[in-house]
Amino acid sequence: MTRHKAPILTALACAACLPCSAGDSELMRAMRDEMGRAVNELQLGEMEKPFFISYLVREVTEANATAELGSVVSRSESSTRRLTVQVRVGDKSLDSTNFFGQSRGSSALARADFPVALPLGDDYGAIRRQIWLATDRSYKSALDRIARKRAALQNETRIDDVPDFSDQEPHTYADGEALGGVNLERLEALVRDLSDVFSGMGHVSASEVRGSATVNRFSYVNSEGSSFVRSAPTASINVQAGTQAGDGTVLEDSFSVYALKLDELSEGDNIAVLVRELAERLDALRDASHIERYTGPVLFQGQAAVELVQRVLAPKLLALRMPVAEDARMGRFLEQQMNPYVDKIGSRVLPRFLNVVDDPTINSIDGSPLLGGYPVDFEGVPSSPTALIQRGFLRTLLSNRTPVPGILSSSGSDRGSGPAPSNLIVESRDGLSKSEMLEELLAVADERELEYAIRVERVGGSLGMIGGRARRGGPSSRSGDGVQLGAVVAYKVYPDGREQLVRQAVAVGVSESSFRDIVAASEGRTVHTASFQFRNRLASRVILAQGPTLVSYVVPSLLFEDVTIRRPQGNIPRPPIVPQPPLPE
Amino acid sequence: MRSLPRFGFGALAWCLFPTLLAPSARAGDAVLDALREELDRSLEVLSEQDTPAYFLSYEISEERNVSIGASFGGVTARVERERRYLDIDIRVGGYELDNTHPVRGMRGGGSGRYSPLSVPLSDLGALRKVLWFHTDKRYKDAIEQLTRVKTNIQVTVQDDVRVADFSPGSPEKALEDPVDFAIDRPLWEGRLERYTAPFSQSDHVYAADASISFTVVTRWFVNSEGTEIRTVEPYARLFVAASTKAEDGMSLPRYESFFGRSPDRLPDESTVLAAVDEMVRDLEALRVAPLADPYTGPAILSGRASGVFFHEVLGHRVEGHRQRSQEDAQTFKKMLGKPVLPATFAVVFDPTVSRAGSTDLAGSYRYDNQGVKGRRVGVIEAGVLKRFLMSRSPIAGFSGSNGHGRKQAGYAPVSRQSNLLVEVSEAHSSAQLKQLLVDRLREEGKEYGLYFQDIQGGFTFTGRTMPNAFNVLPIMVYRIYPGGREELVRGVDLIGTPLTAFSKVEAASDEIAVFNGTCGAESGGVPVSAVSPEILVSQVEVQKKAKSQDTLPLLSPPPATAPPHTVRWETVR
Repeated sequence: MTRHKAPILTALACAACLPCSAGDSELMRAMRDEMGRAVNELQLGEMEKPFFISYLVREVTEANATAELGSVVSRSESSTRRLTVQVRVGDKSLDSTNFFGQSRGSSALARADFPVALPLGDDYGAIRRQIWLATDRSYKSALDRIARKRAALQNETRIDDVPDFSDQEPHTYADGEALGGVNLERLEALVRDLSDVFSGMGHVSASEVRGSATVNRFSYVNSEGSSFVRSAPTASINVQAGTQAGDGTVLEDSFSVYALKLDELSEGDNIAVLVRELAERLDALRDASHIERYTGPVLFQGQAAVELVQRVLAPKLLALRMPVAEDARMGRFLEQQMNPYVDKIGSRVLPRFLNVVDDPTINSIDGSPLLGGYPVDFEGVPSSPTALIQRGFLRTLLSNRTPVPGILSSSGSDRGSGPAPSNLIVESRDGLSKSEMLEELLAVADERELEYAIRVERVGGSLGMIGGRARRGGPSSRSGDGVQLGAVVAYKVYPDGREQLVRQAVAVGVSESSFRDIVAASEGRTVHTASFQFRNRLASRVILAQGPTLVSYVVPSLLFEDVTIRRPQGNIPRPPIVPQPPLPE
Repeated sequence: MRSLPRFGFGALAWCLFPTLLAPSARAGDAVLDALREELDRSLEVLSEQDTPAYFLSYEISEERNVSIGASFGGVTARVERERRYLDIDIRVGGYELDNTHPVRGMRGGGSGRYSPLSVPLSDLGALRKVLWFHTDKRYKDAIEQLTRVKTNIQVTVQDDVRVADFSPGSPEKALEDPVDFAIDRPLWEGRLERYTAPFSQSDHVYAADASISFTVVTRWFVNSEGTEIRTVEPYARLFVAASTKAEDGMSLPRYESFFGRSPDRLPDESTVLAAVDEMVRDLEALRVAPLADPYTGPAILSGRASGVFFHEVLGHRVEGHRQRSQEDAQTFKKMLGKPVLPATFAVVFDPTVSRAGSTDLAGSYRYDNQGVKGRRVGVIEAGVLKRFLMSRSPIAGFSGSNGHGRKQAGYAPVSRQSNLLVEVSEAHSSAQLKQLLVDRLREEGKEYGLYFQDIQGGFTFTGRTMPNAFNVLPIMVYRIYPGGREELVRGVDLIGTPLTAFSKVEAASDEIAVFNGTCGAESGGVPVSAVSPEILVSQVEVQKKAKSQDTLPLLSPPPATAPPHTVRWETVR
């Protein structure tokens, strides 16, 4: 076992080894002081001392409001400051992380990784007291984990020698911005006005507008000398609406809009336009026809293409480490969670005319804002662009400081609960115009002697607002190999150029391998921001202390060669029995 | 020894809710009117369907809440929240058999599902549309459920006595006045900081939190029998929690909670600070207190401990619907008319009293969640079990509600407790009660007896699949030696089974205390109180408490102020 050479330093006799911290807040001071003490002194008996400690504090003021039909149904505002501690024992080649074991019940060990509430003000003593207790728990939990991990490895020969933690040069960053406030009244007014758009619409039977505005400030210190202080505000509006067609068919749709600040969301009335378009879509769908079953080329345009990339491709672009399992049953579970792309580096995963880049360093493209950027990631690593797929070949994956075979250093992509994209850009060489894409679609359909082809404009679907028992298989659910996507707006496209709207179509079996067979991509690209859902069940850090993770996608329309579209399974609920109440005058 | 608000029995005055509604004051309420209109309109159509709806009620609960949290002298959270929920009770079939009939063999009989619906209030047109939409959905769910009920009756064993599923109610009208929703935030932030600061003086307190929460719940209730009610229930809770750890790793908590109908009804700063000081002293004492051994023998329960004891052990078992559920052990069903306590004891549930002494009671209300007036219910009179707590779901022998159908927004109501009052006709002084204990010890040749001074709560199993036991979680327990010496001990839970436990209750003193809390069960969390004198029990049993294996912090507490030189460390590379 490696013994650490860390000398015991006292406050007076130490050599300066950190950048001057004179401008630190009381919070940063308390973090640095307690970290110094922990690095120097924290040791349980003869057991090993920590070799790495980090503190991440999220200060957040958050406002939420929900409205229906021009009336606010719930509102809340809160301020908190939470600390997440990471203590690693062992050494970089084998440490206390990357271990998946039995839960420790309700003991302090189990709670060691949970964020701890810190005082909001500048009370040095009160803050430091909580940091002291949290560090103590986290250290003991790390000792517990490494002991169990070593026990699990005792009877196994490690075949890969990928270290548990990668080297990183210390980096400091401070944006100098103060933590702002949020304006709940303004948010309420916005959701109230947006929800009021549905008020006069008899054909929309249920609707809801949710708004959220958050200002975050993150403060980070680690024992290697990295630190950062940065602000990250987000604001979002989510709109959902649903109705039933005359035969009872449930029609639901939703959209979300993101911005960094509430002011940017409430500027102009562009969201109100989107709300009206959503209502119009629902109305049009009431009279649209069903589709029975179709297998053939499908053109995913605009939001639908983004949704496909977001649901299917993006989760595969992450370097997720396979942890050591405590027992064989857990090991089998973990294997199922494995990202197949980890083994595909160097293979072709897209057609040769497509590149994929993740770029956290830019904040706009083609004049549209990108919201996924950041200067430094949640492990204190400076951000930089990463070329993920070049000419169809997978070059690397987005990584944090937990290496995977073949990717031994961080790409600066840790977004709090593991690696995640920032601004994910799909570039196509020689992209086709809109009409050329349609021609290509019909050409492929003709080759297969199909009567018509399908183009999908919007993906979304069942929200469970209508119908007693919501049918599963909402916006995206797993089915067999691929993902099932509700195609909310889809058209049959006939060779003569005629188009027919279909309702309630579902695209099934779209998986990452479908992406290899993309036939064409458009020149024009859609920019769309969404909140990233961490589905990394391998994460050793389970705790999400970072709030919503925004990812901006830049994606051209994509023509897939072979997709199955069919009606959703299940029966149609009855239409309402009692007529709607009369609209107020 | 010490307990929370104490007062002599003689000085005890039950304050009635002020009558907020003079009949002439009913200026009308637009929300009630909209609920009424929409209810009538829907029911007109739905009562004409093949499976007709025979009853419909709407309840809207508006919750406005401000809460502040603090820890070790610093404010840690500020939260402000406002929510509006809609609950719909739609019944198809008839009073005798409807969709709410318990489905046998299904866990919980099909009840206890949490399904909150949000509802707009400021626009009545919007409100009506949302009511229409959800009523339709719930009606369809109800007819589906009725089919399931009817099939279930065919295929499962049924009781000999058929009981109806719902009892008819009488129309009620009431309109309570709105309450100002205001809390002086800077004042309370300062107070919470001062309430939690003393804990940082101790090197051994590892958690210290305080919170103030002020809530106003406004409810609008309308049903198809003509009831139209608006109630307004404000309450403030102040909670202080701190914990230490013994050398062996045992976590030792202390809690203080205060309840009032408004923030200014909470105790003043000096009272709370005195309680905090006592918490610090208690924690220091608990940390070094000897571990108690498993014990069986006589004990005294303080008023607060006894209140929780009665709430857990008796209260949950006299909730009417449990006498009907096939999953429930129905401990007291066949004890009706029989003595279960000494003849000097009475146990009453009374939501109509608002205070005990100067302490506001959390379990007070004028109307329950089924629009039925809360009533005083003498469950045990002169030691004899007389009746159960009833919602509008009848049980064998009891058909009508006594105003105890309660729930949290989003749940279906069942019979729940309100203010539990243990009343005794023959009260000893506290000293006499202790003497009775000492006499018993000498009689039985016991080395010591126990005094349960403070408890954090408890839990009980009323089902059949688990032993029908209770577990009360004491915090401050003393050994009382025959010579009168008292010794604080730690690490035990008070356990037992209900019928045996009550047969051992012997006497009570005139030292009354109040426990205000929130009780959680299948219809969610509801505010409750328990008011009880100290009681002497001839035999209790205690078992060792579950203990964490976590060790004490390795480093000593950090300094409270920043040192002149920042602590530096050398980076390990």
